[in-house]
Amino acid sequence: MAAVATGNVSTTPNGNTWHAQYPELGTGPAPIEPYISQEYFELERERIFRKVWLNVGREEEIPKPGDYLVKDLPVCNTSILVVRGKDGRVRAFHNVCSHRSNKVVWDQQGSCQTFACKFHGWTYNLEGQLSFVPDEKSFFDLKKGGLGLTAVTADTWQGFIFIHLDPQPTETLSEYLGELGKRLTEYPFTEYSATRFVWQTELRTNWKLIKDAFQEAYHVAFVHKRSIPDAVTSKENPFCHALDIKLYPHHRSLSLYGNPAHKPTPIEALAYRFGNLILRNEYSTQHLPPGVNPTKSQSWSLDLNVIFPNFFVDVTEGTYFTYNIWPMAVDRTLWEVRAYYPQAQSAGQRFSQEYSKVFFRDALMEDANTLEATQSVLASGAKAHFILQDQELLIRHDHKVHEDFVGFYRQGQR
Amino acid sequence: MPERQLPESFADLEPLVAWALETERERTRKRLSSSMDEIQAFYNAIFPRMETVLNYLNQFPLQAMPVDAQRLLYLTLSLAEVSMAVELFKQPSVPDGYDLTRFVPVHK
Repeated sequence: MAAVATGNVSTTPNGNTWHAQYPELGTGPAPIEPYISQEYFELERERIFRKVWLNVGREEEIPKPGDYLVKDLPVCNTSILVVRGKDGRVRAFHNVCSHRSNKVVWDQQGSCQTFACKFHGWTYNLEGQLSFVPDEKSFFDLKKGGLGLTAVTADTWQGFIFIHLDPQPTETLSEYLGELGKRLTEYPFTEYSATRFVWQTELRTNWKLIKDAFQEAYHVAFVHKRSIPDAVTSKENPFCHALDIKLYPHHRSLSLYGNPAHKPTPIEALAYRFGNLILRNEYSTQHLPPGVNPTKSQSWSLDLNVIFPNFFVDVTEGTYFTYNIWPMAVDRTLWEVRAYYPQAQSAGQRFSQEYSKVFFRDALMEDANTLEATQSVLASGAKAHFILQDQELLIRHDHKVHEDFVGFYRQGQR
Repeated sequence: MPERQLPESFADLEPLVAWALETERERTRKRLSSSMDEIQAFYNAIFPRMETVLNYLNQFPLQAMPVDAQRLLYLTLSLAEVSMAVELFKQPSVPDGYDLTRFVPVHK
């Protein structure tokens, strides 16, 4: 049974607020301080980003042995080299030479048989082992066996490559993704990943502000009044109240309403005749796994899935998209957006994917503009708190999970 | 007389060939540097032909399209690029929007 918006009150199927399902989170204001505090930022680096599984790519980016990608992670003061070995396995290493710590691989992706450091020619194989040292006899008792690239733990889930900086993570990737991971297990990620559109931008904003913007649909009626006038809002549901919200220990999910009476624009109607669009598609409850569109609503558009700390995997029929949100400084963040579509089989499909992609991208430009504006006044001292309503529960949960890891407000520390 | 750039049956669209751009970056740049009149003129010329254009292009495998058909495909991608501007924003850029040129495509 779907959630119903009645007047001013948001209700779940049994008539309560979503917050009522998670009373331990409370309903009070949430502090702004974590978004502007340098001290908090340093603690996030140590206590979040070194302690969790982080998505750094997908297997299609490195399909063959010798293929590699590099993910610079300034939040962890490192750069990660991800490489498919001769045995087909995906491994990850700190991109740091054992000699004098030069960055070994300077490009973002490629394919090779060995990695040679540009500084003194130290050479590593695809398994990260040190295979050659020029002028080796000038070293003292050099034991090449122990001087390979320093490995980081790597694993894959549904084609997504994750790394963990702890050599012995307390949870496997599967355990970390938990119930949300299981919910998404049968979603056709690989089929939909044949086509990939990728954008990057650096924003003058705290990384959590970007997350917040995409963890609620309250903004849609205002921020997207031009681009999305009626696809996810209606007279019955003017504020895009969620169909479903689920909070997990670290992660969370929101099932987004879609207006079945949406009126397509002329180009949208044309594009839809040739392929699925991000907010308009043919879907059947048989094709998508039970965990997607969990209320099996006919008024559904997509599911928003947030994998802590910084990875969004938002899914619908025929396409999905991801955000990776990388902190660089307390007020600077690299935001990567990827939109995935199946292999276009025809020009018509190619055109429809392009329309869907442009629509999505332009709507994101509406979201992004509020972010730097907010950050510019966030440290004014004018306000100390965010006020969060029932539909902003995901933001409240995120505050809680950050605090679980960072412990900024714990007894005796503040 | 300049050489025909598009397939012969679409000679009427030859004046639009400046919109036949291969990459998203180029198409976005053209959209942002065009006036609304120019964008509207492009839309008015190509939109009524789109069924015919797409049915024509659908006969070719995407990976092995003749060059003139490929240019015609790029025209349709430019239509997608300006679709929001024409139908919803009534201006070339996203109103109250983030600078599109800062949102950098890594893909073509």
